[in-house]
Amino acid sequence: MSNMATRYPDSVDPTRTDGRDINCEVAELSGEAGSQFISRSTDEHTGSIAKAWNALPEPRRDDPTYYDRPMLQEPVWEWAIPLYYYIGGLTGASLVLSAAAQLKQAAALDLLIQRGHRIGFIGSLVSGGLLIYDLGKPSRFLNMLRVFRPTSPMNMGAWILSGTGASATGALLLRQRGGLLGNAGGFLGLIAGVFGIGLSTYTGVLVANSAIPIWQESRKALPVLFGSSALASLGCTFDIFCERPEARRITNLIGNVGRAAELMAGMAMERHASAVPRVGRPFKRGISALMWRGAAFLTFASLVVSTLPNRSRKSRIAAGLLGTAGSLLLRVTVEHLGAVSARDARASFHQQRAGRGAAELKKSPQAADDGTDAARLESSLDLLGDQRRLL
Amino acid sequence: MSGGKGFFTDTTLCIGCKACEVACKQWNQLPEDGFRFTGMSYDNTAHLGASTWRHVAFVERPMALHPDQDGAFSWLFSSDVCKHCARAGCLESCPTGAIIRTEFETVYVQPDICNGCGYCIVNCPFGVIDRREEDGRAWKCTLCYDRLKEDLIPACAKACPTESIQFGDLDQLRTHAEERVEKLHERGLKDAYLYGARKEDQPGTEGLNAFFLLVDQPEVYNLPPDPVVPTKKVKDAWVSMAATAAGMALVTVASILFGGKGDRS
Repeated sequence: MSNMATRYPDSVDPTRTDGRDINCEVAELSGEAGSQFISRSTDEHTGSIAKAWNALPEPRRDDPTYYDRPMLQEPVWEWAIPLYYYIGGLTGASLVLSAAAQLKQAAALDLLIQRGHRIGFIGSLVSGGLLIYDLGKPSRFLNMLRVFRPTSPMNMGAWILSGTGASATGALLLRQRGGLLGNAGGFLGLIAGVFGIGLSTYTGVLVANSAIPIWQESRKALPVLFGSSALASLGCTFDIFCERPEARRITNLIGNVGRAAELMAGMAMERHASAVPRVGRPFKRGISALMWRGAAFLTFASLVVSTLPNRSRKSRIAAGLLGTAGSLLLRVTVEHLGAVSARDARASFHQQRAGRGAAELKKSPQAADDGTDAARLESSLDLLGDQRRLL
Repeated sequence: MSGGKGFFTDTTLCIGCKACEVACKQWNQLPEDGFRFTGMSYDNTAHLGASTWRHVAFVERPMALHPDQDGAFSWLFSSDVCKHCARAGCLESCPTGAIIRTEFETVYVQPDICNGCGYCIVNCPFGVIDRREEDGRAWKCTLCYDRLKEDLIPACAKACPTESIQFGDLDQLRTHAEERVEKLHERGLKDAYLYGARKEDQPGTEGLNAFFLLVDQPEVYNLPPDPVVPTKKVKDAWVSMAATAAGMALVTVASILFGGKGDRS
């Protein structure tokens, strides 16, 4: 890294250095940002720099902004995160299905249980992989587990995913064995079901816990949306792959309830966020609106095809593919809505001027205490103890 | 919160020289993040970011500064910085514990812990903290943690030629800031007010350890009028998740019990 920092010997051009302009022969990089890595393989500048205007902003005294610049930072998450929301949802729902089927103790459902555990096992692995891939420092993914922090839905999610993966693996390996091991496997299957419910719904909380206005205003609908979409994804996957009628009757019902709930939760989310028109604008305008309508259309089409009487194998696969596409597009759209909302400073300003900033909390004093309790809980559970210690 | 250190940025004293930006870059050994012409007044920094921890806003207003003055134009300058909130969205959302509260009550990102998940970025109600793509970690103002440990004042405050950026004990800063507002009111600048100085002023963050004296609406400076740490609102989402979980369990169990009917007949 010290090489990167050295100014190229015969150049005073700032674009030919790492941007620090420090000669490491006489100085060392020990500052707070001395370790910040900068790639300068090309002359291309990077960083969060203003894009050129298409039109000059008009200052408006009644609705001011800072040159129409964004106030918030845009999310840095890429395609892996919405894909994780989908895979995690499917994984979780499969494990719930297996656990519920275990409760019935019917031999006819044994294959269904096994399939659920298999999806659960593979899905947890893929989910973990996607999350690690999206980290800025993938080698440090285990840092997620150095604390137990209820104020951070992402930390809770890391624990939920770990628990899901471990219990699903145990259930898959042990449940069909005899004796004590088999019992343990059965128990792990039930545990995996509980973790699975968490895995397919916590992502809604993860997105809702945000300063981005459209996500914050959707906070009540998001967990329902993601949970029902997970059920729909489960139904669709079995629509495509499962040939056995007794299992299909079950998954078809789950899938249809999921599809219908997904559509309703989507409508609720749009209504909640649109209480302040500027916040709800990405639902109504631009590519985000098209994507949002497209996702709802796909899910609706899937529901229609799936509820047709006398379904052939082809129509089942069609319903499954439509619904899967709908669920995937929905997750991508939720991500995109957030990015659009973060770029619009007026969305935040209008939301807060409409009394939906901190003012909203005065109506329910309990809500204000919530975080403090969580923080107290956190300090008592902190795995590595003293957080103030600087390494 | 007493015993804490912080900034009081008096924007009425700022002359827009950007010495704070330069001092910050230099002391912290921050790289530049692009030389580009934004066209926004004299502000080519545009926003705080991973490698920009002080940013001077240049507000051009089509009105006089003082109500008694003539004229149809006035400047406002404001050196923006991480607010080191008493309830910090970045800290509460950080899943690794990389973001901590220091002994000076400031909010500090430990670069050797941060794994670059990006969650703090969507949780800052001020849009301060950011990730630099090549580096992969989240960065923001440390309130010169290294200097504070050596009893030095932060680089930006040290470099400020007009004492627009003042550093000190929060209690003293607040008292001083309130006196300053009174003085400005006496002089006829009735618009002067403190932004985030006390918990009561900004219940959503429970007060800022880097607070400001402003003379126009916060939006003009690209500051949110009523920011709130997301954690304060997320209870709604957890309740909704619990209801969803119950619903999912119910639907699945019911489908197993009733959906499978007929397979034996």
